[in-house]
Amino acid sequence: MKLMNINLEKLIPESLDSVSPMERRSFLKMGLVITGVFAGGRIFSVVSNVNEAFASSTDFVEKYPYSPHYSMVIRQGLCIDCEQCLQACKETNSVPDYGYRTRILTKTVSDAIGRQREFIPILCNHCNDAPCTRACPTKATYKNEVNGVVMMNSKKCIGCKMCILACPYEARYYNAERRAIDKCNFCYDTRISKGEKLTACSYVCPTGARIFGDISDPENVVYSMVHQIEKQVWVLRPESGTKPNVFYMKATRSSPWDLRKQAGAR
Amino acid sequence: MKRIALLLLAALLVSLYFYGNVAVAEEDEEHGGDIIYTKPLKAVIFSHKAHTEDIGLECDWCHEETFEMEALYMQENTDFTMESLCNENYCGTCHNGDISFSTTTQCARCHIGVKGYNELVRQGKIEPEEGDVIQVEGGGH
Repeated sequence: MKLMNINLEKLIPESLDSVSPMERRSFLKMGLVITGVFAGGRIFSVVSNVNEAFASSTDFVEKYPYSPHYSMVIRQGLCIDCEQCLQACKETNSVPDYGYRTRILTKTVSDAIGRQREFIPILCNHCNDAPCTRACPTKATYKNEVNGVVMMNSKKCIGCKMCILACPYEARYYNAERRAIDKCNFCYDTRISKGEKLTACSYVCPTGARIFGDISDPENVVYSMVHQIEKQVWVLRPESGTKPNVFYMKATRSSPWDLRKQAGAR
Repeated sequence: MKRIALLLLAALLVSLYFYGNVAVAEEDEEHGGDIIYTKPLKAVIFSHKAHTEDIGLECDWCHEETFEMEALYMQENTDFTMESLCNENYCGTCHNGDISFSTTTQCARCHIGVKGYNELVRQGKIEPEEGDVIQVEGGGH
């Protein structure tokens, strides 16, 4: 199992000068202002700028190309690595022990006061501009035209693994039983297309660290979480230009306990 | 003569030093060490050292009113949950944001997760439970 190349231990804030005007503009269009750069430009920290950038929330929504536009918010500080999500994912989507559709990274901050541990769930980012779909020679992997989920058609897959090389998030593995690449599809075939509201991982998450929903819907929890004013939200590896749909934010405190869970979760 | 006396004194001091260390080491074992809870979720660490040696709590402040002496006895209770802790039961008796940090904050301070649990198993500090699959990070396919 390969791990991401980001060395989380050595993350230090870098200068904003390294951000190109183009990049700033593309973030502004998303309603986000870049506030920090980490890990050689691999990770940006951003704050929402919706109120300043757009006259009304509807202007902003029009920027999302899909409807429903499925997204996930990872509330980093709430993950406790109980791995119920990994278990639920394996059971729901028949993921073998050697494979994964989602993983959890660990970061240790040994000089921090109090909590010195942080768990970071990662999965397919269902990028708007997905490099994997461009790399696939047989169009076995493609964007769902309605909701933007990056899908796999195992029958078309020839197992060339070009998509694994193209994916900056290492979200894909070769499934020997299916003789095809397998990856997260937001449980589209197993749950969402059958009328379920949540993916298996967000359904079982006991802390609400994984929030799933439709970012194009101002009534949806994902929309309101990502567009909170002055709340830091970031995406992984924005320099890849992939326009990812998995957003990260800090959440260190919330009470009472019940409110943490996403509505409709187990 | 004076030289021998000095040597003897040095030897005596050295032995006293080591005797002292042994005494401390024995005292170490008087608390319950690290307790790793695996229910209702894997895994949470409770450090006796942090609570007794480091901040100086007395045994009877928690035993046996809040916690039985037997390790992991409480995790068999059906109400051994975060919700119950938030209502100032079990750990929440003190971890209520008033006496010590609240159970609604700093999740991963106590939750070491499956990764933390597997690491302790690999280090031989705890016995794996039945049905555990300990995967080696970075290995495999």
